[in-house]
Amino acid sequence: MACAVKSLLGSLSRVATPLYGAAAAAAAAARTSQAWTPLVTSVRHRYHWQKMKKGPLLKNYGQNDILHNKGLMPHIEHHKRLPIPLYRPKNNWAEKRALFGQNDYIDILGPGNLHPTKTAYSVPAWLRGFKGNEYQMLLRKKKLFGQQMAIYRPSKRREMDKRIVWLYKYLNFKTKDYMWKKA
Amino acid sequence: MAGALSLAWGVTAHRPALLRQVLRSFSVTAVRNQETGAAVAAASIDSRKSPLILDEKFPDSNSIVVPREAWIETLDTSAASTQVGLIHLHPQVFGANPRLDLIHENVTWQKKFRMVNYAHTKVRSEVRGGGKKPWPQKGLGRARHGSIRSPLWRGGGVTHGPRAYTTHFYMLPFSKRLQGLTATLSAKFAQDDLKIVESLDMPSDEAGYLEQLCENRRWGISVLFVDDSDIMPRNITLASDTLRHMNLMPVYGLNVHSMLKHETLVLTVAAVRRIEERILYHFRRPDLPKENMKRFRM
Repeated sequence: MACAVKSLLGSLSRVATPLYGAAAAAAAAARTSQAWTPLVTSVRHRYHWQKMKKGPLLKNYGQNDILHNKGLMPHIEHHKRLPIPLYRPKNNWAEKRALFGQNDYIDILGPGNLHPTKTAYSVPAWLRGFKGNEYQMLLRKKKLFGQQMAIYRPSKRREMDKRIVWLYKYLNFKTKDYMWKKA
Repeated sequence: MAGALSLAWGVTAHRPALLRQVLRSFSVTAVRNQETGAAVAAASIDSRKSPLILDEKFPDSNSIVVPREAWIETLDTSAASTQVGLIHLHPQVFGANPRLDLIHENVTWQKKFRMVNYAHTKVRSEVRGGGKKPWPQKGLGRARHGSIRSPLWRGGGVTHGPRAYTTHFYMLPFSKRLQGLTATLSAKFAQDDLKIVESLDMPSDEAGYLEQLCENRRWGISVLFVDDSDIMPRNITLASDTLRHMNLMPVYGLNVHSMLKHETLVLTVAAVRRIEERILYHFRRPDLPKENMKRFRM
């Protein structure tokens, strides 16, 4: 494969690069002329093995490449380790995973006095059987904990009230509800 | 040890109120026999002179499907043969249509309805600081800003991020859950993953005995043993205590997810009859449409 190499006149003459035909003549002419023009030299080999024997082309000579270009991981001595976490597989037969879903059909298979929401112990008590958006959730929280929060967490209670007021205005004056599709 | 054992010995250890309620309405039929080696050996030789044939005709069944037949096996390897008898299974429960879509809906429901997302991001008003206008509106040549905690800023609030307790609760219609159970039981039976056992009594309390037994009978990698009562015999409790992939469960704890998670499902005769009775009761009750229309609200 022919390679075109741009090089300065002076350095090229010192490096043993073969120049053919017109390139050689141009180089000779350039050496004698007054004005300097950059020389474009194409490097060609007769056989592929000759090119391989020369080795890789020397590029960016003298540049200090500060990038990590060796090995799989960056050098730890001077630099921090990359944040790749250690792989820790989940124990699929841990108790909570092995018995996941137990008692979910207790209203069918049990005596009938229990509902799966009553047995959902992982869910906070005030959220069992509840589904709603943030506004509805905050209203429920205020209904159940508002008085206690006013005594023990007054700042949090105040923030919650502000959020409720803001959400009321946002949901009622700035967003559409599902009825709009029918209107 | 206590934590894992109490699951089988009695969920009462963790949740007393729940179990007391359930046990009050369940009638404990059999008294657990002494499980000494000699007693079990004697019992297994004497009591099984004739095979245990439980060929119920199911006269009340309005199903065109014939009753399913299954072997009754025993967990006692010292017995003459593995099979101890024959049982007929109700077609509406164990011969139902194995509806994959219903099974999928049930598993998805089980995973989602208890999920609470605790992810929470602060809104611009909640982030600390940001009350003062950072620089005057005009004159500086900089972009105009009113607060350093607006969503445009680094360290500012998130506009439409996750907010606190987001629940994904919903209830599948009652009939869908009922048919999910029958579909899964039928699928398990059809694929030879359902084994009937006369009782969970074992002669040995070693984990190795149970492992070897399951290995010899090709009972899947994971096995779920289901019995009518939630207080299990001593030996199988101790044997399965250290084996995480072999679990014990009472009938009321049975669910579609567990049945799919465990490769093999082993039911006792008592458990089979209890499951049939409960499921058929719900299929035949006159207020089933009303139950389906129920919208669950707390």
